[in-house]
Amino acid sequence: MYKIVRKKELNPTVTLMEIDAPLIAKKAEPGQFIIFRAFEDSERVPLTIADYDREMGTVTIIFQIVGGATMELNTLSEGDCLYDFVGPLGRPSETDGLKKVAVVGGGVGSAIAYPIAKKLHSLGCEVHSIVGFRNKDLVILEDEFNAVSDKVCMMTDDGSYGTKGLVTNALEELIKEGNEYDEVIAIGPVIMMKFVAQLTKKYNIKTIVSMNPIMIDGTGMCGGCRLTVGGETKFACVDGPDFDGHLVDFDEAMHRGTMYREFETHAREASCNLLNKEVK
Amino acid sequence: MALQRNMDPKKCPMPVQDPMVRRNNFDEVALGYTYEMAVNEAKRCLNCKNKPCTTGCPVQIDIPAFIERVANEDMEGAYQIISKSSSLPAVCGRVCPQEKQCESKCVRGIKGESVGIGRLERFVADWHRENCKDMPEMPVQNGHKVAIIGAGPSGLTAAGDLAKLGYKVTVYEALHLAGGVLVYGIPEFRLPKAIVQKEIDNLKAIGVDVETNMVIGKVLTIDELFEMGNEAVYIGSGAGLPRFMNIPGESLKGVYSANEYLTRINLMKAYKEGSKTPIKHSKKVAVVGGGNVAMDAARSAKRMGADEVYIVYRRGMEELPARKEEVEHAEEEGIIFKTLTNPVEVLGNEAGEVCGMKCVEMELGEPDASGRRRPIVKEGSEFVLDVDTMIMSIGTSPNPLIRSTTPGLETNKKGCIVTDGENGLTTREGVYAGGDAVTGAATVILAMGAGKAAAKAIDEYIRNK
Repeated sequence: MYKIVRKKELNPTVTLMEIDAPLIAKKAEPGQFIIFRAFEDSERVPLTIADYDREMGTVTIIFQIVGGATMELNTLSEGDCLYDFVGPLGRPSETDGLKKVAVVGGGVGSAIAYPIAKKLHSLGCEVHSIVGFRNKDLVILEDEFNAVSDKVCMMTDDGSYGTKGLVTNALEELIKEGNEYDEVIAIGPVIMMKFVAQLTKKYNIKTIVSMNPIMIDGTGMCGGCRLTVGGETKFACVDGPDFDGHLVDFDEAMHRGTMYREFETHAREASCNLLNKEVK
Repeated sequence: MALQRNMDPKKCPMPVQDPMVRRNNFDEVALGYTYEMAVNEAKRCLNCKNKPCTTGCPVQIDIPAFIERVANEDMEGAYQIISKSSSLPAVCGRVCPQEKQCESKCVRGIKGESVGIGRLERFVADWHRENCKDMPEMPVQNGHKVAIIGAGPSGLTAAGDLAKLGYKVTVYEALHLAGGVLVYGIPEFRLPKAIVQKEIDNLKAIGVDVETNMVIGKVLTIDELFEMGNEAVYIGSGAGLPRFMNIPGESLKGVYSANEYLTRINLMKAYKEGSKTPIKHSKKVAVVGGGNVAMDAARSAKRMGADEVYIVYRRGMEELPARKEEVEHAEEEGIIFKTLTNPVEVLGNEAGEVCGMKCVEMELGEPDASGRRRPIVKEGSEFVLDVDTMIMSIGTSPNPLIRSTTPGLETNKKGCIVTDGENGLTTREGVYAGGDAVTGAATVILAMGAGKAAAKAIDEYIRNK
């Protein structure tokens, strides 16, 4: 069993948990993910690792409460245990030889962008972080990004905090100002990654995106997480989750991501009803 | 006492659930022999001196000896003989392709039907489970440790054999549940999961540790397993990534690999009312492929409520690689066999969902390298099969996780682990491998046979060190 040693609400829909998982903490690298099940009958859900502490033996996950499984996870408290927690899965993000990088995080994707920014910073790389949220209430990890970045651009869709606009606006401005990036790393909603990749293609800057498709086993068995990258079928669990943003077929990935939308809506409603009953 | 042999040329039929009923449920199809049926069927065995059947068994069960016990109504005695050679008799009695193995060598098969060896094996294992509640005894420990990667049929067999010899065995399983293909792949209606669980409990009773949620190659490497005091490692990590055909439309919504479809249904229990695992409730399904996995996927789709389910296979009925009984059961349940047919494109609607499958008809030419007649496209035979779901069941390619993190472990062009003939030794000292990780997708019993051979080799290796 995998104990929750810390739980913190980052905003009304995003929660942070530190999980006691010493073996995973020992091996985890930025870009890798875990698969969890809150209860014995829960779905298997992948989550990218947000941080890890090798000495304390903990792995940090940050999740948005979007469906039945994350709702179930959020019912657990400090001291409770997750039923299953397996990883680290996928390939670590490549950081070798990078001198100047723009790290772009959108929404809860910022939680996954953060450990990469942190690692690059610790390696002496110049890090420009561009993080975008819908509004001020949803902003997460601001202090953390400030601590590991040479420059931070905070963007909100409605202008309620930082600068009003999209992450692509800020990125283009930085490029136009003459910043020469070895690489752009974009993590967030597929649509955001698609537009970041379109922009950087124009400027011919290598761009890495972190894909988060539907997955079951996460170890290279089920094939559910397949994507088309450069015309070839790739599996996010063993070939990724990082891929060259200029080669990923984002439209297809978005389509495949909606496969179970109807089911998920029902599941979410069912979970809500169940929780409401428990509260009453 | 001389037995009165039963000279009936036909084997006693297996009682089964009615096809019209069973295609709507996930309960086991074959109900098993009654006590009387088993004793009568056992009396068909001539107890040949040279035991041709045993040569056809990948784990060399002393078949005439156990059948003789059944004929004499000594069921526990029969079980003891089987369990000397097989760790998972209740599983093998259900899923082995007996008609290609033991039963194909049976003398009774020359002038009639062979003895129902598989059915008798299943009866004996089930009888033992239901009537003998004693847990197996813990063997005397020999003080040596062995690590096993993968809790599927191959790893569990190796674990069982080594534990019986006194080794401290730890089995590392990547998924949250032990059993491998027995729990994620083979459906409940063919192999009830309670039976698999019981076999695993028996292994635990003889001291085997099973650690789930451990992806070796990621959380621990093989080198670290040695550092932890293991003197040998057995890799039984299974087949791996599903193959696709690389035809247009394979990424449409409604295209599954058989692995994904079956994992959702079996491991994740999508067949149960109120399951939290999403799955498409299809109306018309095409399963591409002709092996056991294809039959399992097709029959599962039917049970999930599909009106029409097709098996689309590029060769003919004769060439279907699936176990004969599975093909017969599928036909009885109304699965439509579109043999000599090959898909060339998956068609999608505006929402990106599957709405048809463009196929061509095939004819068989000269035999190819595999000895089977090569299928050739019939010119101008293109047609569209009206389906909303396509399940690809055309095999797998080996999992890259272990080979990419184990220096010195050689793999072949296909990515299968290279081993030294029968004992499963890899190119790394003390590292053995077997099952689908070595052969590519094959059968449960072949994987078990490899696990058995490797356990023997590991024991010799450690004793001679």
